[in-house]
Amino acid sequence: MQIFVNTNYDFVKWRFAAVAFSLIWILAGAGLFLKNGINWGIDFAGGASIVLKFRDAVPMNRLRADLKDATIQQYGKASDRALLIRLPQQGKESDLAGQVVAKLNHDLNPEASAGKLDLNFQGRDRLTDLLLMSDPDRRGTGPDAHAYYAKVAEAMINKRSELGLFTNMQQVTSVPGVTTGIARVIQEKTFLGAFNVLNQETVGPQVGRELQQKAIWAVILSTLAMGVYLWLRFRSPMFGVAAVVCIIHDVLVSLAFLAMIRGEFSLNIVAALLLIVGYSINDTVVTYDRMRENRRKLKTRMTLEEQLNLAMNQTLSRTILTSGSVVLVLIALLLFGGRVIHEFAWILLIGVIAGTYSTVTIVPAVAIAWNKWTGRKYDVAGPAARPKAEPTPPTPREEPTPRRRKAV
Amino acid sequence: MLNRSLWWKVALVVGVLVVFTAAIIPTKNNSEPIRRGLDLKGGTHLVMRVNVGDALRLEVDQAIESLKNQSAKNNLPVPATRRIDDTTFVAVPPPGIGTAEYERLAKDYLPSFDMSRTAEGALQFRLKPASVAAIQRDTTDHVVETIRNRVDALGVTEPLIAPESGNRIVIQLPGVDDPARVKDIIKTTAVLQFRLVEGNPASDPKVALESVPANMKNEVEVLPGTREDELGRAAGVEYYAIRKIVPVTGTDLKTARVQKGRLGEPNVGFSLTPDGGHKFGDLTGANVGRRLAIVLDNKVVSAPRINSQISDQGVIEGNFTTQQASDLALVLRSGSLPASLTTLEERTVGPSLGRDSITQGVRASIIGFIALVIAVILYYRGAGINAILALLLNLVILLGMLALFKATLTLPGIAGIILTLGMAVDSNVLVFERIREELRDGKTVRAAIENGFSRAFGTIIDTHMTTIISALFLFQFGTGPIKGFAVTLLIGLAASVFTAFFVSRIIFDFWYKPQDRPREISI
Repeated sequence: MQIFVNTNYDFVKWRFAAVAFSLIWILAGAGLFLKNGINWGIDFAGGASIVLKFRDAVPMNRLRADLKDATIQQYGKASDRALLIRLPQQGKESDLAGQVVAKLNHDLNPEASAGKLDLNFQGRDRLTDLLLMSDPDRRGTGPDAHAYYAKVAEAMINKRSELGLFTNMQQVTSVPGVTTGIARVIQEKTFLGAFNVLNQETVGPQVGRELQQKAIWAVILSTLAMGVYLWLRFRSPMFGVAAVVCIIHDVLVSLAFLAMIRGEFSLNIVAALLLIVGYSINDTVVTYDRMRENRRKLKTRMTLEEQLNLAMNQTLSRTILTSGSVVLVLIALLLFGGRVIHEFAWILLIGVIAGTYSTVTIVPAVAIAWNKWTGRKYDVAGPAARPKAEPTPPTPREEPTPRRRKAV
Repeated sequence: MLNRSLWWKVALVVGVLVVFTAAIIPTKNNSEPIRRGLDLKGGTHLVMRVNVGDALRLEVDQAIESLKNQSAKNNLPVPATRRIDDTTFVAVPPPGIGTAEYERLAKDYLPSFDMSRTAEGALQFRLKPASVAAIQRDTTDHVVETIRNRVDALGVTEPLIAPESGNRIVIQLPGVDDPARVKDIIKTTAVLQFRLVEGNPASDPKVALESVPANMKNEVEVLPGTREDELGRAAGVEYYAIRKIVPVTGTDLKTARVQKGRLGEPNVGFSLTPDGGHKFGDLTGANVGRRLAIVLDNKVVSAPRINSQISDQGVIEGNFTTQQASDLALVLRSGSLPASLTTLEERTVGPSLGRDSITQGVRASIIGFIALVIAVILYYRGAGINAILALLLNLVILLGMLALFKATLTLPGIAGIILTLGMAVDSNVLVFERIREELRDGKTVRAAIENGFSRAFGTIIDTHMTTIISALFLFQFGTGPIKGFAVTLLIGLAASVFTAFFVSRIIFDFWYKPQDRPREISI
């Protein structure tokens, strides 16, 4: 199967429309940012984020009363009975998430004050200690006894990890290794707490500030580094400048999309942006490479516009295919990757598409503008003066347009 | 017959395949060859600041004490002293007495301080910058050591406890299922002191201080403790006037463990080092009938009456639950922290969320990979199989390298793998498209393969270089999972260059041998 063989599209012609479209897209995103503000994630804004899974119906009123300045949302499906609680930064360094969890634990689990152990909250060590102190199976206090009870406790906690949390005692006592004695201790001295903590994060103001600075620097410096690399590699500032503009375009288009889906600006998003900086430029590099190669072989005079069109048509099938395969994989990530990675996958997808799009629209626009500004010095590309480096010299081209020979 | 150099290349590729496959197959000793990050495994990532000011203040306070003691020993009036900040204090000699004598004392006994005279005729002492740096370093090292002891005692497998710049410590605890308790244990300062009680405890700090004889008032400080009712239950706060002198401390302990008291209630039994036992024997022997306060982190845990001389072991009773008693025994065994800790960042992923993430991540990767395989084979037919083989080898190398370097696979890392595979496909596509073009130009199959590879080389290097540059920035500026992502990407890119130029090439050479003069190619 072959597609896009010997195409002869006039990409250059579309550049003004494309620039206008990109500008509208980016301005729309900027407008949304201005209107809604940047939705900084916890990584940058600081504060706390807690995901709790509840045993019974979520006591929403209780939570809202307990946590006045928190935003509380459903996490996942309603049937999961999980909540995402976000708390704003408190202005000073503290174990915010830990304090909130402790408070909720105290308020929602009155049994805990009676000295019972919360099987939905506490870990295997505590459970082991409890079993060892009660010693229902008369194993004594030696290391063997400890190992025996530790194994049972571990099995129970692993079961909890599998389920998310215990909803009834039956689930606990049906774990392999639980004897009637142990089951009795479990019934008497433990209880099933109202929630289990799936995830808890605290980012203090200092760390948040640092992460913010680091992220901004990383994106700016890697963009500049890319421009310098391409400038050196192609020995021409035009390529460097066009590449930097192209990268900025791709990043802004992705950010505008983030504003449109009201996504959260988190560390993962920065990682995705950095990846777009490195990856979306590939199409541009491939096109430049082809243009440079063509220039060496050219016999006739050709304007930069014609050179760009030729190179883009020659590499079109590769561009579509490569972007297509990455897009394919990213769609899989988007559909099946789970919610933790969802926004990350979206931004990458838009970035990759933007990268391909900007290669055939924004890059020519910048290159042509640069060429005009510098007195059309990229137009001249007469017969190659330098010796040809190729081991088997290609058949010289008679005409600049792509050939129309049959594929094998 | 294949020529010799091709055989060597095949042998190399098979060798690479075997080594990396071996690296990723779980064995009995190594059940998890590729380490999963905290986001996939569950666990706690903590960044703590060591409040080194605590240790500096202690140093300054000791210097003040030392200056006063030496003044008294040398028959000089004791100067009035005042601490200005964490590293500085001022000594004001009584009126009419010059500073010369004190300066001489300070030269001998306070070598780690810079001395200067203030406009008011007082002496100002400031810790030398080198001493400050040394104290900060020692304190952080000591904190790392203590936390390591505690984490080891908790039985966490493969923890990471590392000092960072700015007096910070990064702690990673994989697989922890009770993060609240672990954090408590890590953060407890656990400074244990045995000090004598003066006067009588009272529910009001002023009353407690008033019960102390007048001549002792400057020798005591008032500390809070828990009041117990007749049944030993907690009932409010009680204040104790406690002597400032600390005869025996936690460093004199040899070991501590939970045990059951007479009524089956949990308490902490301890035994002392020979030296500590000597001090404890002197203290208890001279003060039979008085109360001895057991002070933990400036709170009175209990203040039992000394019934007889005790020298080598004792019991700390308090209103403990089993859990509290066992945690206290643990922190006492592992030693006290020389400075308090402040949490700057915490990221805890529960084990069930980690489990979900890895299932979904792996499932998405497999589905994406299968889609890729179908697309590539549909489009390139025979050569597509070639690309897929190169891709699979790429995956094996990538995972093998992760295992050999003991790198950590994070959730963004899985995305990194997927993107690397995208890059690897791209390399193959560049070569294949080039071969097709050469064929359209009327080249023979062999010439098209040769040219396809050599012409695509520069382009592939360029596309990889740009991605490597961005991965390096990710590595430099990223934290935690993002760093893992960058590592995965860097390894994957290296593997991608190798498979595209070496492996893919060998397969072509194998199928379309030069001496056979192939006329057709499936591409």
